[in-house]
Amino acid sequence: MITRQFGSEVRWMLRRPRTLIGLFGLVLVPIIISFGIWTAGDGDSGGPGLAGILKGNGLVVPIFTLFLSINLLLPLVASIWAADGLAGEAQHGTLRGLLVAPVSRVRLLFVKLFGLAAMSLFAVTLMAVVGIIAGTAFLGTDGMMTLSGTTLDTGEGLVRIALFIVLITFQMVSIGAVALAVSSTTEHPLVVQAATMTTIIVFQVLGQFSSLDWLHPFLITTGFPGLLDVMRDPIPVDQIWDSTLLAGCYLLIGTGLAAMRLITKDS
Amino acid sequence: MTTSTSAPVTAGKSTAVAARTRGLRKEYGSTVAVDRVDLELPEGAVLGMLGPNGSGKTTTIRMLLGLVRPTQGEIELLGKPLPDGAEQALPHVGALVEGPGFHPFLSGRENLIRCAAFEPLLDKRDIKQAVEDAVERVGLAQAAHRRYRGYSLGMKQRLGLAAALLVPRKLVVLDEPTNGLDPAGTREIRKIIAELHAAGSTVLVSSHLLSEVEATCTHVAVLHRGTVVAQGELTELLQAGGSALQVITPDVETALSALRSAKISARPLGEGLRVELAGTSAPQVIETLVKAGVGVYEATRWKTGLEELFARLTEAEEAERGMSAVDTLDGGPR
Repeated sequence: MITRQFGSEVRWMLRRPRTLIGLFGLVLVPIIISFGIWTAGDGDSGGPGLAGILKGNGLVVPIFTLFLSINLLLPLVASIWAADGLAGEAQHGTLRGLLVAPVSRVRLLFVKLFGLAAMSLFAVTLMAVVGIIAGTAFLGTDGMMTLSGTTLDTGEGLVRIALFIVLITFQMVSIGAVALAVSSTTEHPLVVQAATMTTIIVFQVLGQFSSLDWLHPFLITTGFPGLLDVMRDPIPVDQIWDSTLLAGCYLLIGTGLAAMRLITKDS
Repeated sequence: MTTSTSAPVTAGKSTAVAARTRGLRKEYGSTVAVDRVDLELPEGAVLGMLGPNGSGKTTTIRMLLGLVRPTQGEIELLGKPLPDGAEQALPHVGALVEGPGFHPFLSGRENLIRCAAFEPLLDKRDIKQAVEDAVERVGLAQAAHRRYRGYSLGMKQRLGLAAALLVPRKLVVLDEPTNGLDPAGTREIRKIIAELHAAGSTVLVSSHLLSEVEATCTHVAVLHRGTVVAQGELTELLQAGGSALQVITPDVETALSALRSAKISARPLGEGLRVELAGTSAPQVIETLVKAGVGVYEATRWKTGLEELFARLTEAEEAERGMSAVDTLDGGPR
């Protein structure tokens, strides 16, 4: 029963025109990045330009793409899905239909969370795959140069990309879980998106003030840069672990609040 | 229409009930939407829930379906207490509440398939067939492939009904099912309600269209200002509603005083009087009038229709509050 509901949820999300448009927009990012690097050409001063430095380093493109996107684009997409999941269903009157079917409210939340996680994984993987293809096409692939200066072979590089996909997806789902909590309180999807994006932006601004450094360990956005450690050799796990743990707290708190709200909600 | 259970309403407590509420109350902030609602829905009945807009019909229905938590009171649905028993009871309940709710970017059929995926009683293999059957049943087969976005109000309503009928139900709750339907659509809804009734399902249908309820229901509950002011079998309610006598006379004043001294309640209406037959009979009234020397041109038995019953029930309350002295009984003798 639950697998059938999961399936229905993912199919429903994939059928939405806005999901398809969103996914299309997401895959443009790695293509544009690859193209941008490729056309950067050689530097004016005769030295090697960006393209020259990154020549043969196509595998950097997916990492760079995801790292760039987790700051704004992926939270936006997660917030849209979370908004449609509860607030949108309430707005269309379809939430009532699900509840009298009946789907228990806790199970409904898990169905929504699963849909969000599945689609996030799909979107992030899609971006990475397109990033690998575009990066290879424009820059060529000859192993992966790490931030530590060593070069990994292509297989090892792909493993690093896979790890990064999982880490980024987890961050995205955690933000989505908090957005689901907001989504459970309203019938207006736009409120959910606005609240989520405002929070992400405000967090990033707060993260700039060193006078507020006591606050930084609590901001999910503070954890994003540390994830780039997957590009080091060997991988230092401390920052990655901290970031993931922080996201896990957001996931738990978001899910908990959403469940509390849903259980007592009148619809 | 005869009910399968011919037991009188007074014995209702011993007959099986599909749903029952006790002392139901719902507050939204400082407004009380529903108060002291004791509703009894006998098994196999078609209960028409009547009430003006804002009388608490939809709130009561939403509480019955576990969508809204009552502030106070108990609900029993198909023998299970809510909210704890909701998961056992609700699979057997089909509902169309507050208008149909569907996704505009999906076709009617796809919408139903999504609903069906969440129906616990529906086996995965049977979903396709159940959806086709439901679509056929509500006369939407031609439009099932079209996007819901382009549906007319009537088609949306039909799709909502189809969703409620995806699985054979013990109880079907229809909130204003004929909203937006043309006369043909209304007739079809009536037919579907009759079919459900014949198949032994219990039906709860709310409406503000009295003719609708009179035509389809075996039982009636009248809500007014958030509380049940009358409920029971339709025929009994209409009888208990008391009958009246419409008397045409030129001498209204004399007639009124004669009746009053005989302790018979009456009031001027149109060209004559309306005499309540509670505690008296038509011959007695006429005798009183004739003895007082009042010329009686015509006396007609006023048979209570649902419309009048409804008006009196909702009006009585208002009169109690001293709010209305307006006579809204503008219907004539039938």
